[in-house]
Amino acid sequence: MTEGGTRAPAVAPARRNGTIFEADGVVKRFGGIRALDGANLSVGKGTITALIGPNGAGKTTFFNVVTGFYRSDGGRAAFGGRDVLGHPPYAIARLGMVRTFQITKALARMPVIDNMMLGAPDQPGERLLNVVFRPAAWRRREAEVREQAMELLEIFNLTPLADAYAGTLSGGQRKLLELARALMTRPRFLLLDEPMAGINPTLGRRLLDHMQRLRREEDVTFLFIEHDMEVVMNHADRVIVMAQGRVIADGEPHEVRRDQAVIDAYLGSGTVAAEEQ
Amino acid sequence: MLELLTNPPIALTFQSFTDIDFWTSVGILAGIYTIFTLGLQLNVGFTGIFNFGQAAFMAIGAYSMAILVTEAHMSFWLSLPISILIAIAFGLIVGLPSLRLRTDYFAIATIAAAEAIRLFALNARELTGGAQGTFGFGDDWDSVSETIEGWIADIGWTDVPTLFPLFLVVWAVALVLMLVMSRVQETPWGRVLRAIREDEDAARALGKNAFAYKLQSLAIAATLGAISGFFLALNLKFVVPEEFLPIVTFIGYACLILGGMASYWGVAVGAVILWSVLEGLRFLELPLSETRIAALRFLILGLVLIGLMAFRPQGIFGKREEMVLGD
Amino acid sequence: MEARSLTIGAEESWWRRLREVVDRHPAVTALALLALIVLVLLASKGLHNVAQRGLNGLTLGAIYALGAVGLTLVYGILKLVNFAHGDFLTFGAYMAYLVNVTWGLPLVVAVFYAMAMTAVLGIFLEKVMWGPMRARGAGMLQLLLMAIGLALVIRYVIQFIWSTDLRQLDVNLTDTVQFLGLTIGRTNLIVIVVGFAVLIATGLMLRYSLLGKRMRALSDDLELAETSGIDTSRVILWTWVFAAGLAGLAGVLAGAITQLQPELGFELLLPIFAAVVVGGIGNAFGALAGGVALGLVIEWSTLFIDSRWKTAIGFVVLILVLIIRPQGIFGRAKVI
Repeated sequence: MTEGGTRAPAVAPARRNGTIFEADGVVKRFGGIRALDGANLSVGKGTITALIGPNGAGKTTFFNVVTGFYRSDGGRAAFGGRDVLGHPPYAIARLGMVRTFQITKALARMPVIDNMMLGAPDQPGERLLNVVFRPAAWRRREAEVREQAMELLEIFNLTPLADAYAGTLSGGQRKLLELARALMTRPRFLLLDEPMAGINPTLGRRLLDHMQRLRREEDVTFLFIEHDMEVVMNHADRVIVMAQGRVIADGEPHEVRRDQAVIDAYLGSGTVAAEEQ
Repeated sequence: MLELLTNPPIALTFQSFTDIDFWTSVGILAGIYTIFTLGLQLNVGFTGIFNFGQAAFMAIGAYSMAILVTEAHMSFWLSLPISILIAIAFGLIVGLPSLRLRTDYFAIATIAAAEAIRLFALNARELTGGAQGTFGFGDDWDSVSETIEGWIADIGWTDVPTLFPLFLVVWAVALVLMLVMSRVQETPWGRVLRAIREDEDAARALGKNAFAYKLQSLAIAATLGAISGFFLALNLKFVVPEEFLPIVTFIGYACLILGGMASYWGVAVGAVILWSVLEGLRFLELPLSETRIAALRFLILGLVLIGLMAFRPQGIFGKREEMVLGD
Repeated sequence: MEARSLTIGAEESWWRRLREVVDRHPAVTALALLALIVLVLLASKGLHNVAQRGLNGLTLGAIYALGAVGLTLVYGILKLVNFAHGDFLTFGAYMAYLVNVTWGLPLVVAVFYAMAMTAVLGIFLEKVMWGPMRARGAGMLQLLLMAIGLALVIRYVIQFIWSTDLRQLDVNLTDTVQFLGLTIGRTNLIVIVVGFAVLIATGLMLRYSLLGKRMRALSDDLELAETSGIDTSRVILWTWVFAAGLAGLAGVLAGAITQLQPELGFELLLPIFAAVVVGGIGNAFGALAGGVALGLVIEWSTLFIDSRWKTAIGFVVLILVLIIRPQGIFGRAKVI
């Protein structure tokens, strides 16, 4: 693996393949506070985009709103041309827009392999009637799914833990499981909330390489929230910066780091400007 | 002192231990509650929804069957599936508005729904017979029972308690249902339920319609509750609202915890042990009045619940890791 | 990126705006609703009927409110769905019976004794059961089932000792008082006066006293309260004192106007839960208002329907609240 640690391959402008997701004036209120104050952004298909910003900027809230976990208080958002605001989370996930959580949601009292197999789409055995009337169909799919799950676990170095209860995994391992499980859903657009937190750099690079490969071979789009500026600068095609519920900058990494509004936002909120390396 | 030894105030009658009539009736109650509690196991142990209204489904099963047979003059055999459908319908009516609520609110809502059904049965005298209840639906079952008695006599065993055929049928059904539930649980569908129990949002984020699954779980519990209601009605030969007080659901929970959550077979063990204890108090010919003995039974039930929760919440067969109780 | 105009959501339908108003001002909405109900009643049944039943409703409402305030405090602070709360009422009633009938002392003494003994019971259970279970990290279902077990123990010990025979406190159930053309039983009037006096005192305590503020702080956010230096275990003990004491009083008052039997408290438990949910779990004022409102609504319902369906009204209210606004009037917690 020679790509680890170097810059991302030839810059992919946001619009080369067309836009896969756009948000327009998304608003979310909590009581009197506007956590999202008219967020506008768009993500190009097949790109790796980083979503950064100081604490409280509304990044996770944005994820929650556009994936259906929070109800929006205004604005529009569309995935692949289809409206997503106001739809339940499971419907959005089924469209191929899948998110992970900042605080991992490993299904603690289930084995790792079960966690994985849960993610697979199109398992007829998940419907009650099929359980009774079409046993052969779902058993066949179950075997396929198990194979896919084991392959992914291999990539993520989790194979020896396949039968362990997910609750016994370390924090970093849970992050990996969360990501691997999300990948099982064959997503078109992955929204990752701090996917690298707690993961050692070597493994982290492996993940990024996997993401690059998915992007290259299957045109999967990534939008990830990240605080590690090294990852952001070296692996993202585009960077979107949020502060106080709005998008304040959107462009290539080297443009954004010099953007005065961005610097102000970070300094203003008291967060150390990590891009000053 | 010597007198105390030769005339102990508590008399234990050896003969009672081998009284087959007694064990048959204990067995029937245990069987009824096994079927009843299978529904709770599915809901609580495997889906993570705290259904405290299971008594309502039992009531609906029993009353629907009784009323359809006695008032609508329907065939007993036809009344069974229709009663199940009515129970499922009620489950959906209750579930649709309340399954989206937080778990404790759902518990309160289901108890309220169950009490509503019981109070309706108590007050809608024209339909249900009020406090006096409904009876006279057992004829079809009686002929089946006699047939079974005949078969048993054929293999050489006469002098069988009258309730023995019911005992056999209840347990035959219970065993089949336990088998079915265990098998269904080991499917992808069951896996989704367990995921919902663990973390509903995670399941949703993976494309699972958690609400629909919870509704299905409740509908199946309604079916199991209704079936247990049929057997209750056949056992008592009448159906009265008093048989469906909240304590019925609490007894079910005691069976559930005793057997261990997340084990369908454990439910049977829990039910047998609990009912043996509850009914076994009759052995001790205590110099106490009826109400006192009744009080003692439920007092013990309360202590069992407290004891289990405090010292062994995973029951007999539950795994410590699978304990659904910490949330 | 092209500039886009900020579109603030779908067309602001009046329905959506109405919902927003209701969401922002739930108390006012509830009050308006109640006023509407009263107006309709007055118009259709006349002042006398409404006022007369209203008095009965206040009697019932006082009892519900006393039970609900305690239940909601325990629920809010300890996250405990205390199914044994109804049996605190029963316990209080029977303690009063002990003093008033068995020992022949005046009812006033009996009331104080009942409240004190129930408070002691509450403290005892907190020290022996709830505290240790919380320390062990017991989950909600575990505590809920324990509460159910406890309810059975209390109820059936009472039944063991006093049997299911109906008993009565030594009160005057026949004398009536007349005022403003309305008739009310003397004992019922006492129930109303005593009940509301205690409720008002409790309300003032919660609003203005240091303990009250601390209790509300714990109810809002237990962890935050712990880190801010409040002696949470003492506040919790005092919470139990109040919750149990009020429950004991509610039991005595209920026993005074009806008859004592072991199911006394449990039969009141569901309407009390309804009052708690209506008011918003954890909110004592809500529980108070919910209890009184529920008592009124239940009694007024007898103007329209046969009184045997009275208890059903409690359920209807509970179900409606759970469907329309599950967090109740004052609740803020996420309920869905």
